[in-house]
Amino acid sequence: MMPDLLIALTMLSNFSLVATSRVSKAIQFAVFQGVLLGLMPLAMGLGRHFHIVLLAIAAVTVKGWLIPFLFRRALKQVHIQREVDPYIGYTVSLMLCALGTGLSLVLAHNLPLKPGTEYTLLVPASLATLFTGFLLLVSRRKALTQVVGYLVLENGIYLFGLLLVEDMPALVEAGILLDLFVGIFVMGIVINHIRVAFDSTDTRHLAELKD
Amino acid sequence: MLDVALVLASSGCWFAGALLSASSRPPERLATGLGLLGSLLALGASIHLLLGGSASGLTFRVWGLPARLELDALSAAFLLPLHLVGGLGLIYGQRYWPVQTPWGSGRFLRFFYGLLVAAMTLLFIARHGLVFLVAWELMAVSAFFLVGTEHERPEVRRASWVYLACTHTGTLLLTAMVILMAQRMGGLTWIALPVSTSPLFEGGILVLALAGFGFKAGVLPLHFWLPSAHASAPSHVSAILSAVMLKTGIYGLLRVSSLLPGIPRGVGGALLALGALTAVYGVGNALAQRDYKRLLAYSSIENLGIILMGVGLGWTGRATHDPWLMALGFGGALFHIWNHSLFKSLLFYGAGAVLHATGTRDMEALGGLARRMPRTALVIFPAVLAVTALPPFNAFLSEWFLYRGLFSSLARGYPWSAALGLVALALAGGLAAVAFARFFGTLFLGSPRSEVAEHAHDPAFSMLLPMAILAGLCLAVGLGSFLLLPLLDRVVAVAAPGAPALLDRGLRTDLHLLAGVELGLLVLVGAGIAWLRRPEGVVADSAQEDLPTWGCGYATTAARAQYTGSSFADAWAPVQPGLRRRMPHLRGLFPGGASFRQAFREPIGEVFLAPRVARLAERLLRFRRLQPGHLSVYLLYVLLTLLAVFLWMLLRTRLLG
Repeated sequence: MMPDLLIALTMLSNFSLVATSRVSKAIQFAVFQGVLLGLMPLAMGLGRHFHIVLLAIAAVTVKGWLIPFLFRRALKQVHIQREVDPYIGYTVSLMLCALGTGLSLVLAHNLPLKPGTEYTLLVPASLATLFTGFLLLVSRRKALTQVVGYLVLENGIYLFGLLLVEDMPALVEAGILLDLFVGIFVMGIVINHIRVAFDSTDTRHLAELKD
Repeated sequence: MLDVALVLASSGCWFAGALLSASSRPPERLATGLGLLGSLLALGASIHLLLGGSASGLTFRVWGLPARLELDALSAAFLLPLHLVGGLGLIYGQRYWPVQTPWGSGRFLRFFYGLLVAAMTLLFIARHGLVFLVAWELMAVSAFFLVGTEHERPEVRRASWVYLACTHTGTLLLTAMVILMAQRMGGLTWIALPVSTSPLFEGGILVLALAGFGFKAGVLPLHFWLPSAHASAPSHVSAILSAVMLKTGIYGLLRVSSLLPGIPRGVGGALLALGALTAVYGVGNALAQRDYKRLLAYSSIENLGIILMGVGLGWTGRATHDPWLMALGFGGALFHIWNHSLFKSLLFYGAGAVLHATGTRDMEALGGLARRMPRTALVIFPAVLAVTALPPFNAFLSEWFLYRGLFSSLARGYPWSAALGLVALALAGGLAAVAFARFFGTLFLGSPRSEVAEHAHDPAFSMLLPMAILAGLCLAVGLGSFLLLPLLDRVVAVAAPGAPALLDRGLRTDLHLLAGVELGLLVLVGAGIAWLRRPEGVVADSAQEDLPTWGCGYATTAARAQYTGSSFADAWAPVQPGLRRRMPHLRGLFPGGASFRQAFREPIGEVFLAPRVARLAERLLRFRRLQPGHLSVYLLYVLLTLLAVFLWMLLRTRLLG
């Protein structure tokens, strides 16, 4: 019951992410989603495995505290306007997101699952989150919102990993978490450099670097 | 066990030497000493094995899978020239390319030179697909950096890029070959296949080996990278590239074919014909070169063609179960590999000495060097005779093996390829004589054609010593070849499993006789020289001494009026496919000034391929639009690919049922 609720909330937050027009709102939703997913293993009743609990705590700490902290700092440093500034409008984004979610449901329906998996919503939710992350990465202009897209993408991967959480070595999950942290960290630095070089964080300017 | 460990240690020594040379203050002596130690170790192990030691192997595991290194007679036969030329090149390079130079980087050169030798050592003892490919790539890439040593010059950069593209295409084919072999052998470790089960599979392996190794060996349509790469590399590098690296292609062919249960009968004849064409083509183009290093490179193509003729003959022998043909074919090929590595490295060292002294690769700017560089001329002369296959030098004998093999092939009724081979071998020998008459005559005889040749001088002792050793070996092998017959027999037994040792029995008396005749002739020549130099011979007036060579009495204008190399080779223009000339029409009794130009363009690489590649590259420019520079677009590509994969997974079951 509890995991299904969390998954439903995750999918709902996907829609909120593509529909919101404020940068800070988008960040909040992404963080909210991350924390939800961090709690997932506990909700799935995997609290008996020590390393999974440890990872869940680490995930919640990184996604709920460290990453928002980095985001806030970046926001403060680069004085970004509050608008998300998308390539594609909000309505179209929303429809694309809905389309992606629908497609994920069809796809997950047709994918062979490991026998004995009780959470059938896990795979479609993970694919839908992946698509949403990609959509955000592709359709948003600002570097910071692209980082949000990256975060959502990683959430999708994490969700997929939950399917195999009992079989997957802790090293892999820890790797994903570290990857995410380093990714955000580096992108924060890159954003700052883009601002210094182009006096704006609009990624369109990066096309000038092409040879 | 001991032998293969020694060879492995030798590879390690070279590698360590290379690493030392790359450090910021290279301990030159230590690095050279390590390299020479490595060479001695490998030479000792190879000679021990060839003199009668048994093959030794080393089995270990790579990522949990068994792998194998093994030293057998075939490996030893290739390690021998590698470490001889490698070690001598190290000595030669000391003065030829000092560590501190204003041009290029001595450290860079030494590092990749060591790496090249270490990689080739590993290559020759690898019996595992993956180890072989890794060593092959290491060799190819270090050779790329060596060719590009003088990368400040655009033509050098171009030569090295062309080489890299070619070698990687070859590696691609070889990777496919290794995969096919792994399929057949049930693992990446190479084992001999006892019985033929699938002719298609084995045919595939053979074709891939021919194409992949052919790129390295410079077989006719795949040779176009070779001349400019050899001309661009520093001379001692050209020597090792030509003397050993090209032969890794032959080694691969011999090794892979020795693992296969049988060779289809037509393949041997076809390879023989291909070798014959390569030989004639190579020597025809060698004749047309003004750049003497390029001439040597084309001569390498010719010699590789001759070696391939031997391999083809041996394959014919294997297909028809004819031990005598196998012995003469493989034996001739291997003997020619040894001989070619001796005289070609000597020639490249000599060319390097000339280049070092004059700074130009244009033959028409030189001349009269025999007076200014007498020692160089003396040590290089045996190589010139050897490359034209004249007795008493070594290459005469290996070509004689091939002649005998071709004649017996003719007598046994495989006529067309043998007849073609005979004609080609004779033609190549004759044309090589012309090309090297041009080489030696233009460089060393006559009088200087330009200022640079005036002030040429003999190189340092450390450059002359390797050349003298090689020249001595050329003569020694020519005279003492009968001692090598049992060694060759052992190598042939590996190249053609199950071949009896026939060379020793069949050729010993002939070679004894030949050596006797040659020795007699040498004594006669020596006596003749002694008679000419007898004390009363120099009573002629001393004013004669100062006149330029071939002055013909016109002492003042002789240098410009002498025969040029190009005019010397002009009579053979029909066999020089790449030569383009612009000749002015002279009309009237008193024509005005006119000029004559001729230029050489590589017929396959530059005339045929280069414009086509350029056109293709232009067409491919359209795809640049796919790269707009926006991160979002790139991510969109990823998304679309992901979606396509998912859709395919969805539809696959529906479509394929």
